[in-house]
Amino acid sequence: MIDPDAETVRLAGAGDERAAETLVRKHLPKMVGLARRMLNDGAEAEDVAQEVFLRVWREAPKWRPGAAKFETWMHRVALNLCYDRMRRRREKADPEAGMMVADPAPLAGEIWLAQQRAAAVNAALSALPERQRAAIALVHFQELTNIAAAEALEISVEALESLLARGRRAMKAALADVAQDLIDDADGVSRG
Amino acid sequence: MDRARFEYLLGAYGADFRRWPPAERDVALAFAHEHGTTLAPLLEAARTLDAKLDLAGGAPAPSADLVSRIIDAAPRARVAPKRTNFAPAGWALAACTLLGVLIGYGGGALATPAADKDDYFTAAFEAPSPVINDTGDPG
Repeated sequence: MIDPDAETVRLAGAGDERAAETLVRKHLPKMVGLARRMLNDGAEAEDVAQEVFLRVWREAPKWRPGAAKFETWMHRVALNLCYDRMRRRREKADPEAGMMVADPAPLAGEIWLAQQRAAAVNAALSALPERQRAAIALVHFQELTNIAAAEALEISVEALESLLARGRRAMKAALADVAQDLIDDADGVSRG
Repeated sequence: MDRARFEYLLGAYGADFRRWPPAERDVALAFAHEHGTTLAPLLEAARTLDAKLDLAGGAPAPSADLVSRIIDAAPRARVAPKRTNFAPAGWALAACTLLGVLIGYGGGALATPAADKDDYFTAAFEAPSPVINDTGDPG
């Protein structure tokens, strides 16, 4: 297995500032994206992404390419940090945690609509059991291969597929009221 | 690939074959092409769900502040101390050495000459040495 990040990680671990910056530019958006899907909270997502990289900097000097690719390992670390935060939320029983706060500033119609749709989908994702949410986040949004996603979740490919199928069925039911014409509108906007 | 397997994978990965297991992607595409009519409603339903998921939108770009904070925390290579900065202690040592040389030289000139210069050199350089025989072995 060839890890495309192995050499960059080695250089970053040896103190090469440019290699460190390369890793950040390449992987930080993915880490923020994953944490945002999992936590539905932008500020917490950035905190998680920062924690992931602090661990990367700690591990980079001794990183040895092994069974999992570096990127897969980062996803696993990010997921575990997200699980920790979700557990703390449950313990604190904070009903508002993970709830996106609507921006009170007036928005143009299309932007407002897009935000409403995004909020509806993200709320439905947040309502999924953690492992199903993680499976969909990794495969649909992060676009990891089935093998990498299974490794990040530390489960078999069959178990991943089971999580995906159950998660997608639940999302289909939850988003049944998102009308087809909104999707058509969104397609039209993106093409235009 | 049979219909059951196709439906199972469609339910897990959705209608975009790029997300399907690489090992089964080509076979699945061929199967979908072959059974286009009967599979069309299933594919359409999966495509609709994919589109609804995509309404979640991409994550916003990380803030510049976050990027710089993370890069600042990255490991740094150790930099060797610059040799051009001659420390004050170094200057003091150099001054003492120079002073010592000057005093030694001047002091030598002022000293009373040895009565016999040859004796002086003999005492200085004629150390006892092993006797060397013809074979080079010490005797």
